[in-house]
Amino acid sequence: MDHSNRTSRRNLLAGTALAALAAALPKGAAAAAGGEIIFVQGSNPPSLDAMSTSSQASRNINMNIYETLYGFSEHTAPIPILAETVVVSDDGLTYRFPLRKGVKFHNLKEMTAKDVKASLERYRKVGATSNLLEAVKSIDITGDYEVTLTMHQATPTFLESFCSPRAPAVIIPEEDALAEAGKTSIIGTGPYKYVEYVPDSHVKLTRFAEYSQDTRMPDIDGFGGRKTAYLDTVTFRIMPEPGAQTAALEAGEVHIVEEISVPAGKRMEKNPNIKVYKNMPWAMLTLIMNLDVAPTNNPKFREAVQVALNMEEVMALATAGFYELDHGWQYKGTPYYAGDIGKSYYNQHDVARAKKLLAEAGYKGEEFSILTDSNYTEHNKAAVVIAGNLKAVGINAVINQVDWPTALKIRLQPTGWHGWTLMLGIEPYVGPVALVSTFTGKRPLFVKNDRELDVLYQELVIGKTVAARKVTFAKIQKRLYEFFGIIKLGDTGQMQAARSSVEGYRPFRFPRLYNVRVKA
Amino acid sequence: MTADTATARSRGSLAAEMARARRRRYRAFIGRLFAHRSFLLGFVLLGGIVVLAAGANVIAPYNPDQNDYHSFLAPPSAAHWMGTDEFGRDVMSRVIFGTRVSLRIGLGVVVASGILGTLIGALAGYVRWLDGALMRCMDGLMAFPGVLLAIALAAALGPSELSAIVALTVTFTPRTARIVRASVIVTKRMLYVEAALAAGAGHLRVLFRYILANTLSPLIVQLTFMFAVSILAEAILSFLGVGPPPPQPSLGNIIAGGRAYIQEAPWVTIYPGLAIACAVLGLNLMGDGLRDTIDPRLRTVREPR
Repeated sequence: MDHSNRTSRRNLLAGTALAALAAALPKGAAAAAGGEIIFVQGSNPPSLDAMSTSSQASRNINMNIYETLYGFSEHTAPIPILAETVVVSDDGLTYRFPLRKGVKFHNLKEMTAKDVKASLERYRKVGATSNLLEAVKSIDITGDYEVTLTMHQATPTFLESFCSPRAPAVIIPEEDALAEAGKTSIIGTGPYKYVEYVPDSHVKLTRFAEYSQDTRMPDIDGFGGRKTAYLDTVTFRIMPEPGAQTAALEAGEVHIVEEISVPAGKRMEKNPNIKVYKNMPWAMLTLIMNLDVAPTNNPKFREAVQVALNMEEVMALATAGFYELDHGWQYKGTPYYAGDIGKSYYNQHDVARAKKLLAEAGYKGEEFSILTDSNYTEHNKAAVVIAGNLKAVGINAVINQVDWPTALKIRLQPTGWHGWTLMLGIEPYVGPVALVSTFTGKRPLFVKNDRELDVLYQELVIGKTVAARKVTFAKIQKRLYEFFGIIKLGDTGQMQAARSSVEGYRPFRFPRLYNVRVKA
Repeated sequence: MTADTATARSRGSLAAEMARARRRRYRAFIGRLFAHRSFLLGFVLLGGIVVLAAGANVIAPYNPDQNDYHSFLAPPSAAHWMGTDEFGRDVMSRVIFGTRVSLRIGLGVVVASGILGTLIGALAGYVRWLDGALMRCMDGLMAFPGVLLAIALAAALGPSELSAIVALTVTFTPRTARIVRASVIVTKRMLYVEAALAAGAGHLRVLFRYILANTLSPLIVQLTFMFAVSILAEAILSFLGVGPPPPQPSLGNIIAGGRAYIQEAPWVTIYPGLAIACAVLGLNLMGDGLRDTIDPRLRTVREPR
């Protein structure tokens, strides 16, 4: 009895001590902290100046270094990150952002309103998607820790656009704000700070010990939340060859691979040392038409292409079986999903109807050149299957496969291509405004503007509520299935793989390497 | 019988005797060639590939472009002896048709660079004042790494079978020209060439009838090796995406397609790889045999073995 009492007392004391220790450490730090993680990606980041690039390879790294005032939550709702909150005036013309106090940059300087104003002014000049701030008339400092944005006119979708991670409007020190694009000192407020970049080899980050954790939330949430840098160093290793990436992972030389092929994922699922993560939906695979040249300037011809395609075949082969068939221009389950509009045109594979439409279009066997690239397998494989489907209905489809930078260059030319296979990843994720903005403006994806879409886009941008915008978006989807300037093929997924020793990794639009630990 | 008729008959019988002698020499040469084990093995290997390529429409069990999304990356089976690729296409059919493309490109390069290289080499070797200019141009082309030059040209011309032929022809012509020029320089100093010139033969006749005819042996050997190198180079171009565009199969682009799945579906890369190896080995063995048979010095060296 005495013995058991002693044991209980000892246990109680030990328990109290442990509880005290746990309370002293950041949440979750009771498990092993420290160590290194090596994350593999296929290409070099074009820039580590987050504002000036919309490249995924850059975003992967930058979002661990920098933070924004506002960002998307896990469910794509705007949440404050460096801002305390946002106060929007009743007329919708001003957005007042009180800032979190005590947030430090990697150079240990405290973030103030001056840094925020300087950063946003710089974004207007060098931001790769500077149109995010097009609606903003002025950026004013209204307190040491407060910035107010004044709009030209009420823009209810502003906050959604402002959260876009495509080329994020990150906050950098005022001293860096005069730097030209790509020439900043790579200082942010994020949980990891920059150490070195050796092109074609790696980018190395280290834990920012003085990181100002956002304690308003219990855990990470999308681009924000309670971030904890557990790892001593994070290395982004550049390995272009997919086979080498998976071999390195299986050999235990690296910890996480950004993207693996679906067959490799299926094989590795059987490996107890590897964990496979599925990110679905990740992107929309599309076929974009050039409306400026024959025969794709003819809506009947474009409709023939739409009804000729066997989306199931295209998607199954382009994604090696990791896909979802859906006609919607927003992902299923998201607030703006427009239901069955356009479904009757999707995945038809109707040879007779396509031939009839081609006859009506007066098609005489002109070449239909499909531009694609060798870098993204989904793009080039989709092009091959599309060409096969189109040849079956009598369209003279040829494939022009070039490397990715050349494809981007060719598609900017008014001629020389008729169709272009492209995955739209971040735009549909960000929401209807971001997606539809690529169909309008000075240079829409399909080269020539559609007047009706341009008008609907303006209606979408000024829609006051989600419900109002949803109605407009439904009209946009209807229009997209009337003029067929862009054809949705389906939704693709992204497969990632990590060593089983990696704990806390949750796939997202970029690899969140905070709140992640590695078991010894 | 007149004296003229007798002379004509005697000339006729002389010509017939010479033709017989030529046929005898030819038969003996063919006999020696096929007695050469390397040549025979190479001939069998390449012959088999040529038969497959020529009869692809009949031999290939499936349409090489026929997708099947229910059975992509399927392993070898009774239905698909070499399995299927990432589009569910029959690998065996694609390899057979791909061999046809590779041989066509290889042959195109050999013919084009053979003709161009011979003309340039002959002019450079025979016409002294042209030598410097022509050969410096050739040297300039040779200064670039061969495959790199071909990649640059093919990329500039756009992906197609013809681009591959043009790119490889430009790359390999200087090598042919050098060999022909060297032979021409040696041959034009021969007594029989001087005799022909002294007898009043024109330069063109001398060049083509007496000089080039005697440069054919090393040229044929060189072209055989060039054929093999062209097949390899075509595979490299296609692998890098600057060969024939998809879905047209070529051995290089079949391997490139299977590269991403080499651990999960090695059959997509192994079989076209084997086809390339067989074609190149066959051509190299034939080249060795030809060289040994044509060059008497090598034959003497080999005989005591």
